[in-house]
Amino acid sequence: MTPERFEYVAPASLDEATSTLRDLGDEAKVMAGGQSLLSLMKLRLASPRYVVDLGRVPALNYIRDEGDAIAIGALVTYAELKASALLRERCALLPRAASVVGDVQVRNRGTIGGALAHADPAGDLCAAVLALDARLKLVSTRGERWVWAGEFFLGMYASVLEPDEVLAEIRVPAIAGWRCAYLKAARRPSDFALVGVAVRCRIDGRACADLAMAITGVSDRVFRARSVEEALNGRELETALIEETASRSMDGVDVSGDIHASSEYRTHLARVYVSRAIRAVGAISGPPTPSV
Amino acid sequence: MGDSTRPLESDGVFVTSQWVGAAVPRREDARTVQGQARYVDDIDMDTAHVAFVRSPHAHARITAIDTRDAEASPGVLAVMTGRDVAAATNPVAPRGITASVTQYVMAVDKVRYAGEPVVAVVAGTQYLAEDAAARVHVDYEPLPPVVEIEEALAEGAPLVFEEAGTNVLLHDAFEHGDVAGAFRGADLVVKETFRMPRFSSTPLEPWAIIAQWDPGTGAFVVWSNDQQPGRTAINVSRTLRVPIDKVRYIIPDSGGGFGIKLAVWPYIVILCLLARRAGKAVRWIQTRSEHLLAGTHTPEALIEAELALARDGRFLAIRVNSKENDGSFVHTAGIYPLIKFAVIVGCYGIRATAFEFSTVVTNKAPTVQNRGVGKPGMTFVLERLVDLAARALDLDPAEIRRRNFVRPEQMPYTTPTGEVYESGDYPECLRRALELAGYDEWCRKRDALREEGRYLGVGIAAGIEPGTSNLGYYYISRGRPDFLGSVEGAMVGADFDGGITVVTGSVDAGQGHATTVAQVVADMLAIRPEQVSMSTHFDSATSPFAPHSGTYANRFNDVELGAVVAATRKLRAKMLRIAAFVLGVHERSLALRAGTIHVEGDPTKAVSFQEIAAYAYKKALLLPEEIEPGLREIAYYQNRAAKVPRREEFNIQLTHANAVHVVVAEVDVATGFVTLPKYVIVHDWGRQLNPGIVKGMVIGSTVHGIGAALYEEFLYSPDGQLLTGTFMDYLKPVALTVPRFDLGEMESPCPTSPLGTKAVGEGGAITSLPAIANAVEDALRPFGVTVTSLPITPEKTLRAIRGARVI
Repeated sequence: MTPERFEYVAPASLDEATSTLRDLGDEAKVMAGGQSLLSLMKLRLASPRYVVDLGRVPALNYIRDEGDAIAIGALVTYAELKASALLRERCALLPRAASVVGDVQVRNRGTIGGALAHADPAGDLCAAVLALDARLKLVSTRGERWVWAGEFFLGMYASVLEPDEVLAEIRVPAIAGWRCAYLKAARRPSDFALVGVAVRCRIDGRACADLAMAITGVSDRVFRARSVEEALNGRELETALIEETASRSMDGVDVSGDIHASSEYRTHLARVYVSRAIRAVGAISGPPTPSV
Repeated sequence: MGDSTRPLESDGVFVTSQWVGAAVPRREDARTVQGQARYVDDIDMDTAHVAFVRSPHAHARITAIDTRDAEASPGVLAVMTGRDVAAATNPVAPRGITASVTQYVMAVDKVRYAGEPVVAVVAGTQYLAEDAAARVHVDYEPLPPVVEIEEALAEGAPLVFEEAGTNVLLHDAFEHGDVAGAFRGADLVVKETFRMPRFSSTPLEPWAIIAQWDPGTGAFVVWSNDQQPGRTAINVSRTLRVPIDKVRYIIPDSGGGFGIKLAVWPYIVILCLLARRAGKAVRWIQTRSEHLLAGTHTPEALIEAELALARDGRFLAIRVNSKENDGSFVHTAGIYPLIKFAVIVGCYGIRATAFEFSTVVTNKAPTVQNRGVGKPGMTFVLERLVDLAARALDLDPAEIRRRNFVRPEQMPYTTPTGEVYESGDYPECLRRALELAGYDEWCRKRDALREEGRYLGVGIAAGIEPGTSNLGYYYISRGRPDFLGSVEGAMVGADFDGGITVVTGSVDAGQGHATTVAQVVADMLAIRPEQVSMSTHFDSATSPFAPHSGTYANRFNDVELGAVVAATRKLRAKMLRIAAFVLGVHERSLALRAGTIHVEGDPTKAVSFQEIAAYAYKKALLLPEEIEPGLREIAYYQNRAAKVPRREEFNIQLTHANAVHVVVAEVDVATGFVTLPKYVIVHDWGRQLNPGIVKGMVIGSTVHGIGAALYEEFLYSPDGQLLTGTFMDYLKPVALTVPRFDLGEMESPCPTSPLGTKAVGEGGAITSLPAIANAVEDALRPFGVTVTSLPITPEKTLRAIRGARVI
């Protein structure tokens, strides 16, 4: 449980961080909260030559009201997301997802930027930002660029982030009053999701509008449940429609299997959780769920 | 304190009754929770560090080992291969098995499980040691692995130990009572095949060792967190080819044992060899990954069992055929089967038992005793059969148990296999548990909620929790009795200043021994517990110990306290003699009070412990010749209830607590997830010395059982690779998934333990497994599901609900 030899670099500003990354190239790995990277290094599954710690970059820790959006610095921890009154009021999906990540220790150290950059296929926040159509600011010495969450994730632990880039900010829409839910199936509350379903929508009259759903834990990356969104937007959420939509929600998805959930079981679980998530935003009761 | 001064009776244990049984806070807690405990890795000493090269294959021949790069690596002091070990040590001595096999503490020419140590590297730091270990080049010629029990038993299966000619290293069969007759005359036979998972304990602190060698004397000093220093001294000495006195064992604070720290000793041998080779003290702190991969597991078991019943629900006989996968370490192979005799009839008056077993070796990690050893599996099987029988006869699960319990008036009760249940009232224990749980109400609630599509079940299990192993039983199949009974030692003394000090042969791994010992000694000497100092650090140079010594098998409350009581009596007698001399009166006219001994009825004629100590040490010349100087008394204690184990009469354990668990489980039938909204325990713990410690033990042990029932399992791929190598995949119960426990009270004192105590450390892990399984099965009765295996995972549960009908 000791990492291989590495050099530790702690830039004091974002400029210094990006120039460090430019100089070190792909031999460097950026560390934010360290909750994923350090475990991999201690198991010697990752052995970067340089670890560039963003922890001393104060300018990356903020949650700011930007009118129709909320800007979140990459170093904001899960615990801070969970506790943010601004987010709870204007974008409740994010704190809800953050509140079920890992355990208290992980939530105190782990950051939103680290979680997204790691692109874990079972990441809770990955699903939340995807369902929110968040925008991500990537900064390098070459300049900055904005990408949509939908463009960001490329596969298992893979994103469009270049080795010389830092994910600096996440912008989520201010959607006060919208319905949202993050439902997660895990063997224990502190585990990664076997299935996680993030959903948000408006109820316009009786019809559902702007419903977006993202699913994590099921495949090699988080993905938008387009068939669900198409089936439900503009329609009234009622039981038969929900069940029909949920039952087809995994069609065409390459569902992964492991020792905790075979592909077949995970597919079933995902359909159940899609249905429960829709019922949650539609405030529709369904088959009983045991109170835990 | 000494307000309740009482004259000493000639055979009285206690002179006050203030501390034993009182809720005295654990003295260990403050330093432990503040990070001030001193574990092996906290020992502030300049050592080199050890890293192991472990086999990536489950089964392979080692064709070449090239250590040159590693030896040239920075900071490396020594590199040692399995062949080096074989040249310097004796092979490991098996305990239980009859087959003749040769195995060393490291792999020699062949690896038998993925993770087996092949090469050990010593370097100046842990980092350098691991870097160098990565530069050892080992060539393997993979062999076909045998992983599961069925494969190992198949015709022509690859052999884990070729010289044995079989993968079954121990097989035996026993019959007690007229089993065939009982089955012939039975109105009903329930029969099922059960599977127990491979799981383990995973204490916060894994194994840890420092070894130091003195070239001048050829002696070693070993710091480790071993649980059983007595047997370790014998094993290490025999393996290392040195007399017992050449290795001094020091055991500082230990971060949890649960049985798996009975297997530290092979690594102590390795560390001693490395210290000698490197010429420097060496340190090895096992990593969590190593612990899960190559530490030790509970063997998984395939158990066929049948219960014969009369029409009225009376149990007539039980027949069990157990096959266990003991992995690949011969020392502990065969540890799990025979101990099942301690609980094979459970709380019931079954008069005939047949038991056949096979100890199977495979290319999986070694196994060792783990909380309850074979008893959780045996109790799971028995209590599942009882529920299956209740269902077949349409009897309430509580009622069928009531009809079969050993009755209180039958105590002491001898089971057909020779186990003696000393005391207890099993029907009353059940009655209290049902009442505390609100059993009838939960049954009504279950039925009502089913109408709403919610699936709750109520599960009952009754279990026996034996304590203190009569270790000779391990050797029954080999026909060579050894390690008879259970012996433990203690020293109780007064220091020069009159302070009372205790040293024991057992070791504390979190159980609160010092707290409990101080309570007992305080009431024996009419002082406060704070005046009793006890080091929980074992040191073989100063701790009185026996080959049985250690903390395992629930023996502290029995034999260790027996030794403490005996030593304290000796001390008290000597202090009284000195006081009688000093005060010029007869000993019989003396009483103890608040750290003094005074003339009964006249507290002004008194002599303090401090003065008595002064006479014993500094002014001994003034004492009459017949009073020896000094005030340190050693005593050894043997539980005399032990009989020499024979095939006809096992007498495996020497105290027997019992418990009833009543559990409510709810199953989410859409996902297979199980929750436990209600959990009630009534554990007849005999006399409680410290209620907080007793209840903590029962709860902790039950949580362990919840792990095995719902979460924990070491899974292997078909080629023998461990799939659950981290805590992300090997799932322990966590605070958020553990229910609140409601504990009842029940105290039937044990007549054969010195203070009337019974065992509490394993009963939760024994009784919870069937209780939870019975509850889940009850919840799923509308789906016709039978629970035959653990853990009850969501996926297995959902499959059963959706047609497979078996978990």
